[in-house]
Amino acid sequence: MKENNNKTVVSVKDLCVHYETHEGIVEAVNGVSFDIKKGECLGLVGETGAGKTTIALSIMNLLPHPPAHVIEGNIDLDGEKILSTDENGKVTEKSTKEMLKIRGKKVSMIFQDPMTALNPVRFVGDQIAEVIQLHEHCSPKDAMLRACEMMEKVGIMPERYKEYPHQFSGGMKQRIVIAIALACKPDLLLADEPTTALDVTIQAQVLDMMRTLQKEQETATLMITHDLGIVAEMCDKCAIIYAGQIVEYGTLAHIFDNPLHPYTIGLMDSIPSLDKDVHRLTPIPGMVADPMDLPCYCSFADRCIKCRENCRQGDPELIEVEPGHWVRCFQYQMKKGAL
Amino acid sequence: MAFVETKQLKKYFKTPGGTLHAVDNVSISIEKGETLGVVGESGCGKSTFGKTLMKLHEPTSGEIWFDGVNIAPLGPKEFKPYRSRIQMIFQDPYASLDPRMNIRSLIAEPLTVLGGMKDKKEIAKKVDELMNSVGLARRLGNSYPHELDGGRRQRIGVARALALNPEFIICDEPVSALDVSIQAQILNLLQDLQEERGLTYVFITHDMSVVKHIANEIMVMYLGQAVEKCNSKELFRNTLHPYSKALLSAIPVPSIHVERKPIPLQGELSSPINPKPCCRFAVRCPYATDQCRSEEPELREYCPGHFVACHRIGEI
Repeated sequence: MKENNNKTVVSVKDLCVHYETHEGIVEAVNGVSFDIKKGECLGLVGETGAGKTTIALSIMNLLPHPPAHVIEGNIDLDGEKILSTDENGKVTEKSTKEMLKIRGKKVSMIFQDPMTALNPVRFVGDQIAEVIQLHEHCSPKDAMLRACEMMEKVGIMPERYKEYPHQFSGGMKQRIVIAIALACKPDLLLADEPTTALDVTIQAQVLDMMRTLQKEQETATLMITHDLGIVAEMCDKCAIIYAGQIVEYGTLAHIFDNPLHPYTIGLMDSIPSLDKDVHRLTPIPGMVADPMDLPCYCSFADRCIKCRENCRQGDPELIEVEPGHWVRCFQYQMKKGAL
Repeated sequence: MAFVETKQLKKYFKTPGGTLHAVDNVSISIEKGETLGVVGESGCGKSTFGKTLMKLHEPTSGEIWFDGVNIAPLGPKEFKPYRSRIQMIFQDPYASLDPRMNIRSLIAEPLTVLGGMKDKKEIAKKVDELMNSVGLARRLGNSYPHELDGGRRQRIGVARALALNPEFIICDEPVSALDVSIQAQILNLLQDLQEERGLTYVFITHDMSVVKHIANEIMVMYLGQAVEKCNSKELFRNTLHPYSKALLSAIPVPSIHVERKPIPLQGELSSPINPKPCCRFAVRCPYATDQCRSEEPELREYCPGHFVACHRIGEI
């Protein structure tokens, strides 16, 4: 890695987001912190309802108010304070007007479902040109040329500029979405399950293209997924998230070769493997924690096979067990204390 | 004769653009208590195949043999006794359950509709039994589907399929909508039920690792046709068809020590409407020759028990 890659592009600190609904308060994100450096790809892995998408939407400042309510947190995107909390706990967000200049230019997002992310009544090419014209203040003709270039980069013939989204297959629509996201060379790309709606062979094509563009533009990427296979392939670092908290964070070597948190280990064991033959899978018992009804102790305790008495007495903290490898579990807290 | 067999099963749909060949000449045979895995990408006809098997679609031509009887030509009345013996588990536990029925009435529905049970006590007893066997707590009986998570909802789907003591169950992507930790629970449940009751499964999925785990035999489908069919272990040890190879190589492996070399596939699935008489995979196949573009390959036995439909098998 080059020296200048060490610049931090985005820094999220103590992010805490709740949704206030009629039925009660959904504690979606509960104190999440991470940094992503230039050219780096961080994988955010978790199950449905773990709070992955809420984190991405917070960075985009696209949370729906109401019901979303930012309790606290600081998000610093390349010098821009998207979200900040002062000493009195007052949360300030960037205004919509200011965000317009940041979205698409400094940070872009790829959504899970390409079918709904595009405007059905506009040419796909124009949808790419729109973002270029907005941020680069160039003539419509230049924007169109740049859009054609972008189409070529994502593997779609520029001749199809004047076609509508319904004329494209799912994989190609997602390529258009990626072209829009990367058109202005953003510093940060938020990819929210970008290939979940695609078939595996198409997924392989799209991932391959994303990797090439990411290398070329040195974009910092937050890859949100539930598929550990995609993380192994695309990311440099990985954060495992459960019930709105990071339970384990580290490099790929840490997470795949030395997983420490019982949830990470459980996830790895519950995936059927292509290499090994097992007669029975080892599922994680119980159901995913309900973010509306989180316990005041370790939120994984009720499903954890290693749960002990003190696990139900408090919430463990995220501690560094080896350089760069963080775990939120009492097992390691005690070991650390004993040392 | 095997417990379930199809011979040259076809299902075509008439569309404004022409005839859509959703299932084209698919022949399978499954022994009692075994699982056939059907894999392929979206649009390859795997779900249509499943639905045609239990006659939710009327087959265009071909035979479906179930326990020694060809059920393909049977009319609705004659087929009715077989309905309870063949059941299906659907992909989306959110869409396949009536939101206005509570859990107990959802599970009781097949018992009254097809099972002809009238005695309320008897039904209640059977519902308890079913909820117990799929691992649903009794306290949930009066809840509605929207109150439950995906895993529990899929358990209701399994309970409904089991209600009439079927012998043959078609599982159409039963775990695709679920999180991995829950997916493993449902897969184990299906395996346990199979061992207990000697069930025969057709397991439809797009996930190679799931099918490897659960199936004895695997059929890989591409645009309505079977391109490779063999024992599960054999398929992963000795993959022959270029499409199966590409499919396998495209799966991201959750390990950092596996050096994966994906075989790049150009383009996407071609149209299943009025397909030309050639190998349907030829346009995307890196090994395609003129013969592949002009002549349809037959599914033939390349080595014992291993069927492949490819002209260039053995050369590549």
